Amino acid sequence: MATIAVPIGAQAEQPGAEAVRRPALSEYLRWSVDHKIIGVQYGISSFLFFLVGGAMAMAIRWELLTPALDLMVSGSAYNSLFTMHGTVMIFLFIIPMWAAFGNFVVPLQLGAKDMAFPWLNAFAFWLIPPAAIVVLMGYFVTPAEAGWTSYPPLSTLFSGDGQTLWALGAHLLGISSIMGSINFIVTILNMRPEGMTLWRMPLLCWAVLATSIIAVMATPFLAGALTLLLLDRVAGTTFFDATGGGDVLLWQNIFWFYSHPAVYIMVLPGMGVLSEVLSIHSRKPVFGYRMVGLSSMGIAFVGFTVWAHHMFTSLQPELRIPFMITTMIIAVPTGIKMFSWLGTIWGGKIRFTSAMLFALGFLSMFVIGGITGVMLAALPFDIHVHDTYFVVSHFHFVLFGGSVFAIYAALYHWFPKVTGRMMNERWGRIHFVFTYFGFLFTFFPMHIVGMLGMPRRVAVYDPAFTQWNQLIGISAFVLGFSSFIVVYNVIHSYFRGPVAGANPWRALTLEWATTSPPPVTNFIDDPIPYENPYGYGTEAATAYLDAVDETFRHGGLASSSH
Amino acid sequence: MTSISHGQKPKPRDQQAAALRLKNNRLGMNIFQASWIMAFFALIVVNWQLRYSYAQWPPMGVQPFELLLPSLATLALVSSTLLVQRGLVAFRGAQRSLFSLCWRLAMALGSVFMVLIAREFATVSQAALATQYGLTMRLMTGFHFVHALVILCLLLVVYRRAVAGAYHGGEAAGWAVEGAAKLWHFVTVAWVLFYVVLYWLR
Repeated sequence: MATIAVPIGAQAEQPGAEAVRRPALSEYLRWSVDHKIIGVQYGISSFLFFLVGGAMAMAIRWELLTPALDLMVSGSAYNSLFTMHGTVMIFLFIIPMWAAFGNFVVPLQLGAKDMAFPWLNAFAFWLIPPAAIVVLMGYFVTPAEAGWTSYPPLSTLFSGDGQTLWALGAHLLGISSIMGSINFIVTILNMRPEGMTLWRMPLLCWAVLATSIIAVMATPFLAGALTLLLLDRVAGTTFFDATGGGDVLLWQNIFWFYSHPAVYIMVLPGMGVLSEVLSIHSRKPVFGYRMVGLSSMGIAFVGFTVWAHHMFTSLQPELRIPFMITTMIIAVPTGIKMFSWLGTIWGGKIRFTSAMLFALGFLSMFVIGGITGVMLAALPFDIHVHDTYFVVSHFHFVLFGGSVFAIYAALYHWFPKVTGRMMNERWGRIHFVFTYFGFLFTFFPMHIVGMLGMPRRVAVYDPAFTQWNQLIGISAFVLGFSSFIVVYNVIHSYFRGPVAGANPWRALTLEWATTSPPPVTNFIDDPIPYENPYGYGTEAATAYLDAVDETFRHGGLASSSH
Repeated sequence: MTSISHGQKPKPRDQQAAALRLKNNRLGMNIFQASWIMAFFALIVVNWQLRYSYAQWPPMGVQPFELLLPSLATLALVSSTLLVQRGLVAFRGAQRSLFSLCWRLAMALGSVFMVLIAREFATVSQAALATQYGLTMRLMTGFHFVHALVILCLLLVVYRRAVAGAYHGGEAAGWAVEGAAKLWHFVTVAWVLFYVVLYWLR
């Protein structure tokens, strides 16, 4: 059946060991139009923001160890702290972190030698540092206090100039996101070489395509909302002020029309990563490949029809049920993915690598976040737990248990391709154990305190919740500590890790059919994709993988270089 | 043996690369247009939601906007975009003088549009400005005006370079002319949407 592609083996001469070298570290600090450099630039800068946002989370938990104010001088100071935590984590960590993996991996997976708009891509990245400076600067003037959602009138009447800076920074980040996404869509649709049809694309590419479509169609709404907010704050208009004929709910409509789809911007690429990692590390084809690809598109599409579930308590009553129904429908494409992943690992030859552990961690945590999502979609329950810690728990299960676990899985999985060296598996497992249990005991008890009625976004709470909050706080410190393990592992492995070779996981997708790290042009010749990107376990696949190994036998990172 | 260094990528030289670049530019432009029109839709939603917080629209005691000048401005803009398109066809057919005539006329009509709209923006009555009727009108025309201004300047730059012969040598080389024309079409479509919402939907 299979035309054994003998891919790469028969190709022209490959670079010898001496030609495979890593870019100098200084290249990452400069303007570059190479998508691999840009990917690492995105990755490192957003991880730094993860540490900044994480430090803020630690301060939040420190404050909440006791029911009274202690670390913070006032409720206002606490408001600006969690506002900045949310903003940094969403706009400066998760969204750009997916741009990191998208940039590095997607063109390689497609077999493309470059992206469609390299200059635009670099420009999109370089908008982030100034935007971050503007947003963070706001924290040191009179900070924003309205939460990352910036509802008026909190964001118009009760926030300082930091809110204006916040809106300006978010504007820049939105423009960056649109430009980056246009580049992704055109690259995925136009830059595939001969033989890489849409239905042979790895699922990460499908997920990034769906994510980018959401980003280009939704982000302009954020631009609209921010323009109105800025005008209300600095130009004296009254769009959100009822005394001037405005409407505070206007913000919620426009903002959530962007920000609900943005939730899928944050998690869809993680779902793509999961399909890659689970399939490769259990040596089995992805179960229902086409349905998984289409379900990404389905989530992107349905994601535009659910925004008002964030406004259940303020919405016209007759609109509640329609939005409840559309919200529950999202569970269908998500469920397709869930069962596909279970079907993929079912009976597989599972290798418990660090990447696989984090992928399995995602599976178990995301299913909890998904189920609490369906609970929250149910109107009567939502009204009961509205603005409580149950909501905080839900979205951390999705964004940490989902996105961050997937980011770690992706890091352990593609680090060898990026640097040419393996990460330390022992430290990877230790990292996983600390992260998994730290996460579970931080966020699971929040369901309980939420249902008992503890409101979110308060620094002072009912002393009855003290013990729960102490458990949560201590677990949060463990979770915070765990991120230093991975920092150590990355630095150590970059210099001392074992040399990876081209294809350490014996994976069929094309990013592994080139040297680690890949040359500037990614491939010396156009690679020939295997007929099924996940067709593990057949003789043809084994022959293909052997051919890859043979081709790049001498192509590993020279062990003397670093 | 090829030696590879991490530096500047080689510039695409051959025909195929130019064709691919044109294909990418066209798709990228289409996506950008589909994307950025959503910002204009967002402002239409703003207008739509705010008008329902009033019992009637325009609100009590506010005179509706005059239709004559905005309609003339819209006519000027639509004619301008058609001329830009005709000029693009002429440019591709190497009819340089026709291209030049069409684009000069188009830019003149575009400027007429800008002047008329600026006048509308400046003369909104105080009664209207005390309500969302006047505020959303200024929001929408102002937001559109900024886009029209930037892209009109772009048309001028591209026109001057095109007349100087910068874009000759096939469709790929003429992308700048095509791209500028498409952006001007975008400005027109966005304005027609706003025109209907602001002046006709009561």
